[in-house]
This record gives sequence, structure tokens and C-alpha cells, in this order.
Amino acid sequence: MNTILTYISVSDGKIKRSSLEVLSKCRLEAEKNGLKTAALIVDENASSLAEKVRPYGPSEVYIVEGSEFKNHLNSPVLKAVSGAMNTIQPKVMAFASTENSKDILGALAANQNAPALPDMSEFELTDKGVKGKRPVMAAKIISRVEAVGDPVIISVRSGSYDLIESPSEPQIKKLDFTVTEKEIKTTIREILTAAGDKVDLSEAQTIVAAGRGVRDEEGRKLIDELATVLNAGIGASRALTESGVYDPSLQIGQTGKVVSPQLYIAVGISGAIQHTAGMANSKVIVAVNKDPDAPIFDITDYGIVGDLYKVLPPFIEELKKLKSN
Amino acid sequence: MKFYVCIKQVPDVNAPLQIRDGELLQDRDRMILNAYDASAVEESLVLTEEHGGKVEVVMVGPDKARETLRKALAMGADNGTMILTDRPDLDSTAYSRILAAFFKDKDYDFICCGKQAQDTDAGLTGSMLAEQLELPYVSNAVGLNYENEKLIVRRQGDAGQEIIELPSPGLVTCSNDMNEPRIPNLKGIMQSKKKPVDSITPEDLGIDIGSIELSTNILGFEEMPERETGKKFEGDPDEIAREVARLLDQEAGLV
Repeated sequence: MNTILTYISVSDGKIKRSSLEVLSKCRLEAEKNGLKTAALIVDENASSLAEKVRPYGPSEVYIVEGSEFKNHLNSPVLKAVSGAMNTIQPKVMAFASTENSKDILGALAANQNAPALPDMSEFELTDKGVKGKRPVMAAKIISRVEAVGDPVIISVRSGSYDLIESPSEPQIKKLDFTVTEKEIKTTIREILTAAGDKVDLSEAQTIVAAGRGVRDEEGRKLIDELATVLNAGIGASRALTESGVYDPSLQIGQTGKVVSPQLYIAVGISGAIQHTAGMANSKVIVAVNKDPDAPIFDITDYGIVGDLYKVLPPFIEELKKLKSN
Repeated sequence: MKFYVCIKQVPDVNAPLQIRDGELLQDRDRMILNAYDASAVEESLVLTEEHGGKVEVVMVGPDKARETLRKALAMGADNGTMILTDRPDLDSTAYSRILAAFFKDKDYDFICCGKQAQDTDAGLTGSMLAEQLELPYVSNAVGLNYENEKLIVRRQGDAGQEIIELPSPGLVTCSNDMNEPRIPNLKGIMQSKKKPVDSITPEDLGIDIGSIELSTNILGFEEMPERETGKKFEGDPDEIAREVARLLDQEAGLV
């Protein structure tokens, strides 16, 4: 009733920055509207993570802990979050938009008989619910939307809000949770983790992305080198994930990940809207493409027209030089 | 094995569009089968071709969206149901309620949906439907296999891929990364004209469409904030590459 609840996303035992961005924004909204800010952590080791959300000012941290959460599976998470919502009765339940929150958002909305607004780039509370903006039509335009209800469920794109510290001494409250095997129904047989998939693209500050122009081993080596110099995550366009050159989890775009790093370097990517939908919010965009008319140049801050095989070696060398100074 | 595939007609996001006074103006002639749904149709066809069974498509939309249903039939689906409504403002909750009413008395092994519609990119309807039908579900599937009466779903998660066993009856939402949907051939198009299509209304399913009050609304549309077009560098690769590297350091402070 009087709480804005933020779901804290955990991946590999670490809290995702994007969910702390959402928590930061929710705290501002709560203060503006005389509401409480609370965080919900659903994880195998949720208790040990509570301390990590304290800097962002929740007055309560709710914990749901269990071995069922070791790997993501929607039914236990759905049961945990809907159970928490039944107990806490929040006015707004906010998520960072991730593959795992997308997995449960609709089901949670149906379960709670609540309206849902996914993938928001801006939001604020109103007397009747929540209103805000979300990119649509492959992020070509923005749709202004509202949800009327109590509670309202939303998810927020990463990079939409800044982290704001405002440390608190939250009460830690553990919520009871049990789930039977019968309730879970689906089983995880195996998890295939991408090799070298160390940098979480949705959180990366710098991304080097490869497209169709990167056509062989030599090109991939240049991408690797550039990423290493800049300490960047590597992403790819759909052309290269579909052909198996890069792992599907590295795909950036409407179908893959939506990213908003400080620096995005698009190498050999023409800039179809299905790709730009996932990266147009990057702070600074650099593109290397031999076609001077490639649409990617419409959104770049620094566009290098040239053959990537000739451009990248001196580019990398110069960056190394600048770094060592 | 019986598959139902839920499909939707959407505007082609590649078509030019305009915003005037907050209204979205689109070329209504460029309406297509949602790409994610096309992948769901394709995958169901592949599985039933291999393991036997039937594929039925179901669509909520206006009468003129029928051509999209025909397309799915021309791809190879066995028959279709058109749930007719002219109401243009339905949200995911409304769609999923209509579909849940449709499926209430149906027998099936699996329901396949596209993971999202390519115009709204909301991605809610599939799991809303699963919850209402109390079905186990897997979202964002990038690969499907059938073993021992279960779907073996490869799901693209945040970091890696999960291989999940989904028992029947169940629901799966499909990414367009799993296949290249077939383009209907002439034979398929001819056959599709003879395939049975049921036309029903939400009222037939006990839903008074006029009185549905939506809990989410679109208030209007606006342009994306334009990015200022930056500098383009042409010339000697060595020179321009080094210049941009220096600018990234000096102007943007990003090195």
C-alpha cells in the first residue's frame, strides 16, 4: 500500500547494477510521494547480499532464500515474488529489465491481477498508478504510456537512471518460502555458459561490437585486441551470432541485449534498426565501416570510413600509446 | 502431438512512420505476421513434421488481418481460428484473457507464442496466458526438441543458455533466433485457401469486448531524441584511426 518495492537482480552471486539504478529512482519517487522504499532479494545467498543494497537507501530489505534459486527457473521465482507482493502489498513493484525479469513479468502481472509496463526508459508515480515512456517499433519512436492500478508492475531499461547513494539502516526481513517439486514442473537439464563471457554486456562501461564486416579469424583477433585495450565487453550483431561466430548471449539489438555503455564501438556493423534498437542509447558511439553511407553513421559521434582491417591496427596502437602515457 | 500457435498481425517496423500531434501514422498496407510468431509457426511445423501431429494457429484481430492467418496456413499449419475484434487498443492483459478463454476447453500438448510483438516489444502476453491456464512455460526459446513427450527447450538467459525440460501441456515463447521461417510456396498458398478457418468473436468465448476496461493505455507517441550527428572521418586509414583515438582521449576522456 505504502511501499515501492524494487526487485534486486542477482547474477553469479553479484547484484546487477541496473537493479540498483532502479532502486535509486524508486527511492526518489518514494520520497516525493511519501512512500517507503524497500528492496526484495530472491537468491540462494540472499542474506549475504542485503548489505550491498544499503547504500541506496531502502528502509526495508526483504529476503527470500533457498537452493531453488541457484539457477534461474521461472516457477520458484514467480512464487517467491508473488508471495512477497501478497505480504508487502507494494504500490509499485519495479524490476530492472533483464532476460530473467522478462521471463516472469507477464505471469506475475496475471497472478497479481496487476497492470504491467515493461522496458520503461522513464517512469513516475501518478495518483492512479504509474506513467512514463517506453521505446517501441524497434526503438524508432517513444510511446507515452500509463498504468492504472494498485499495484503496478514495471521493468526499467538499464542505463535509464543514475545510481544515487543515500545510505540507510534498513530492517532485514526474511520471508518464508517453500516450493515443492510438483509445483516447479519444469527441470533444468543443463546450463551452457558461453566461453569467455566474463563481462556482463548490460552492465559494461565500454563495448566493442562486431558485425558482418568482421569476416575471419584475423578480424576476430582485432576485436579481441581492441576490447582488451579498452577493458571492454564484446558484443555482436545478429549476423555474427546466427552464423555461430559469436555466442548468442553476446547479441545486441531488438532480439538480444539492450545496452547503454559510456562508449560503444561498432566495427563492421551497418546499423540496421534491429541492431540500433539495442545500442542507440550509448553515450558515445564510434563506428568503423567501409561504406560511407552505412546508416550507423547517422548516430555516431565519431565515424571512421574505412576498411576495418586497415583502421583497427593503428587505432589499437594509438590507444595503447595514449593509455601508457 | 498437438500444437497451437498464437499469432498477431503487426505493422512492419521497417516501414516509414510519422508522428503527428502525438498520433502514430503508419502505412496500414504494410501489416505483416509478427516475426517472432513466424518463428513459432516454423518450429511447430518442423517438430510435427518430424514427430507427427497437428498445428493450429489462432489470432485475435480485425477481419482484414485474415491474410496474416492465411500466411501461417500457407506455411503449413493445418487450420486456424480467427477471434474477431475491431477494438484497436487491446493491451497484453486483454489479449491474454481472450486467448485464455479460447484455450479453456481445448486439448493440446503445447502452446507456442512469439516472445514479443515486434511493434510494442512488450513480451507479456505469453507468460500471462500460461499463468491464467496454470501451465508451466519457458520464455525466449532459441531451440526446441521433442523427447519422451517433453519439449526440450534451449532458452537464452542473461548469461548463458539453459536447457529446460517442459512437460505437456506447456507453453513456450519463441525468439526469432531459432530458425528461418519458410516462405510459403505456390502449393502452400493454394492449399491454404481450402484449409478450415473458424471465425468466432470474444463474445462467443464469454468476453464482452466493449466493456473491457484497460489498465494500461498509450497516451501518445513522440520522436526519439535525435542524436547530434558527429564527425565523419575519411582518408588515410592510419591517420584517421589515430586521430579518432586521440579525440576519444581528449574530447571524450574515454581512454
